[in-house]
Amino acid sequence: MAKPKVGFYDITGCQGCLLSVIFNEDEILDIINAVDIKEFRFIMGEKYDGPLDIAFIEGAVVSKEDLEMVKRLRERSKVVVALGTCACHGNIPSLRSFNEKNIEYLKYDKKNEKQKDFGEPSPIIKHINVEYCVSGCPPDREEVKRFIKEILLGKTFYNYQDPVCRECKLNENGCLLDHDKICLGPLIKGGCRAVCPTSGLECYGCRGLIDDASFEDYFKLMKEKGIDPVMVKKHMETFAGIEINEKLKGTKWEKLH
Amino acid sequence: MTTKEEIIKKSPYKPKLVEVIDYHRETNDTFTIKLGWKLKHEPGQFVFCSLPGIGEAPISICSHSDNYVELNIREVGNMTRFLSKIKKGDKLLVRGPYGRAYPMDKFKSHNMIIIGGGSGVAPLKGSVEYISNNRGDFGEVSLFFGFRTPEDVLFRKRLDVWKDEFSMYINFDRVEGKTIYGGKQGFVTERVKEVVGDNKDAIVFICGPPIMIEKVAEILIDKGFDEKQIYISAERLMYCGIGKCGRCMIHGKYTCLDGAVFRYDELKDYKDD
Amino acid sequence: MVKGHIEMFKKSLLFQMIMVQFTIDKGDFEGFLRKVIEKYDLIGPVEGDKSKLRRKSLFRKIVSPDELFLEKKTYFPVKGYFFDPKETLFEFDGDKIIDPKIELKKKVFFGLRRCDLNGIMHQDMVFLDENEDPFYKARRDASFLIGLHCNEGDDYCFCNSVELKDFFDLMFYDKGKEYAVEVGTKKGEEFIKKFSGVFKKKDKIITEEDRKIRNKKKLDTLDIKDNYDDDSWKKGSDLCVGCGACTLLCPNCHCFTIEDEVNFDLKTGKRVRKPASCQLRHFTRVAGDHVFRNEKLARFKHRIYHQIQYFKDRHEEVFCTGCGRCIEGCPARIDWVKIINEMK
Repeated sequence: MAKPKVGFYDITGCQGCLLSVIFNEDEILDIINAVDIKEFRFIMGEKYDGPLDIAFIEGAVVSKEDLEMVKRLRERSKVVVALGTCACHGNIPSLRSFNEKNIEYLKYDKKNEKQKDFGEPSPIIKHINVEYCVSGCPPDREEVKRFIKEILLGKTFYNYQDPVCRECKLNENGCLLDHDKICLGPLIKGGCRAVCPTSGLECYGCRGLIDDASFEDYFKLMKEKGIDPVMVKKHMETFAGIEINEKLKGTKWEKLH
Repeated sequence: MTTKEEIIKKSPYKPKLVEVIDYHRETNDTFTIKLGWKLKHEPGQFVFCSLPGIGEAPISICSHSDNYVELNIREVGNMTRFLSKIKKGDKLLVRGPYGRAYPMDKFKSHNMIIIGGGSGVAPLKGSVEYISNNRGDFGEVSLFFGFRTPEDVLFRKRLDVWKDEFSMYINFDRVEGKTIYGGKQGFVTERVKEVVGDNKDAIVFICGPPIMIEKVAEILIDKGFDEKQIYISAERLMYCGIGKCGRCMIHGKYTCLDGAVFRYDELKDYKDD
Repeated sequence: MVKGHIEMFKKSLLFQMIMVQFTIDKGDFEGFLRKVIEKYDLIGPVEGDKSKLRRKSLFRKIVSPDELFLEKKTYFPVKGYFFDPKETLFEFDGDKIIDPKIELKKKVFFGLRRCDLNGIMHQDMVFLDENEDPFYKARRDASFLIGLHCNEGDDYCFCNSVELKDFFDLMFYDKGKEYAVEVGTKKGEEFIKKFSGVFKKKDKIITEEDRKIRNKKKLDTLDIKDNYDDDSWKKGSDLCVGCGACTLLCPNCHCFTIEDEVNFDLKTGKRVRKPASCQLRHFTRVAGDHVFRNEKLARFKHRIYHQIQYFKDRHEEVFCTGCGRCIEGCPARIDWVKIINEMK
């Protein structure tokens, strides 16, 4: 069987997601052997403009150039993978969409020639159809490896569906909610091995929502702890804000600010 | 005392290799594989098929013979899609049998009504074969099978025999063009309502989509059937088959140990539990 | 299981009480533990993993006796030592199945509370029945269980309400200057013989008063058969944020998932099992995306009914050990005991 032709691309983002592919020190050679990498600007100089089996794209769409690039990649790839939180959920770049006032300093980029008349930054999945999302800021390298293996096997890849709390408890951590931290663990897809809560940082939700996230009970719990729901909402908007705001549409938390 | 190596050697999670002696496409999304596996089993039991690297799935046995095991599989997920690529002569990893079977001995001299919908016909096929092999033990036998369209009919070779051996009623959700086996357009439920009389002595097996099971059972109970005459099949996610993983539990009952065949009164209140 | 089987099975599990009692002076206690550490892996309760910022008490390998934390029961259960959270069921190379190797040093557990011990007993009932689980068995065979009796319960536990059984190799009772030690099994008796210098035989030293546990909390009834459709279950599920901590902290809960982990050659790999939680939606998802117990309410009831009723129907023992870890570990502190007590 011919090795699948694979390309790794980035639009506006920090390139951390691509690094999380390379940072599999122990298995990077296995990855390179298993697939035919046509373009990956971190490890090779070549450019490639032909058809691809799998295109990994990281970053958010913030300009016409970004949009053209993802559309072009869509046309020439059998499978497109949105890699990382920017590509899947908008992440920090799209944070400014939720801040109507007060945060003028986040808007200076709008004057940038590139982004003129383009609108707010948005995830790739808003513009093109993608076959898979591998979220995370950055994506968990174990999940990236699992993804590549399952695709090579020909399986349909399923994201980890249980909340962050499952892995957090298996790591034998005390609960951050008990310390009045706005930890989004119960609402957010795990698969990250709960790295943040394990090192003492509350979950900010970079991997997106589980499919039955209990917002109502979460807000209720926060209220009981005396935490301002506006703070909770802002916390939620940090990474997967677009997805969360869509879910909150029509609820009493829609217009909190 | 046994050493831990010996204990692990006997691990119930460990599958064994058997040969695929036949592979046959039934419809465009289902296929039947025949395994050269001399396995003592009863109608209604199931086995696990393993593909290392892909996973493991419970599949109900659709035959009744001491010499081989037939499995009818619909392509719905990763596992079944990979199983469909298997070829005659290949080896397959399996373990089993598991589950509580239909207590066929108890039904001797009874009339039998067997009702299946779609891929739910497969688990029933074993029990019909059992009845056919022991024809003298049973009274009148009626088969009610529903399929989406005439193209979706399973086990045609068997149906060709059964249509003369038993009273057979076939229904299709949709018929475009010619029908087969005298199949009518409409749901199995309607046919059951129309055909089944007030038969207090009959034993009923139902297998199919949950909504079909529920509707058929309601109709039969309206006709005066007792809940204890009706046997239904439950489908749950399961990983172990031996009452450990807890995934298949329905209101305290393990589908793998106490099912997948249940008497209607055991389960009726907890269909979505 | 048939009734006769249950009786026989229980007899093999529930230790025949050997009514021999000993004492050990607290001055000798540390020396005793040091000797244990020399010979075996000693697993005991510690205040928290030093590498963790927010520590919670748990069971760990003890290097020095002063690490032990004996004030109250641990936050995390001991179950991970028997039911490994990442057990390899087998390795594979194509169609070839390779038995896994597990390296086991004999482990002595000290400081198990009655709830921990009954949790182990319940897991024995599940994993050591007629379909014996070899991995669990290997880990259990290599373990020696020393209990430590609680005199006072904490804010969450209610073990007096759930009919706990005596299940231990040795049980320690704190008597001020000394520990009284009760022997539960032959294994326990032999163990004492190995340390005959420190244990002094003293009959009937353990009084009824010593055996008592003073709980602050009480579960009024174990009969909830007719309450399945009660509206007040909603009081619990309406607070649930869906983290699954209750099941992961429970000393009994043993549900698992099995996954294949394949290497980059796509040919070799291993089949592993990991703990799962019935409180999470994907627990019952079948191909075609149907989810049973799709509502949180149904999942909440499933957990409580398994703890109180289902297990009892099957094994004639109440599953719940009354440790209260599921309440203590719950971010919303869902007090299902109170919910049941307030039902009619």
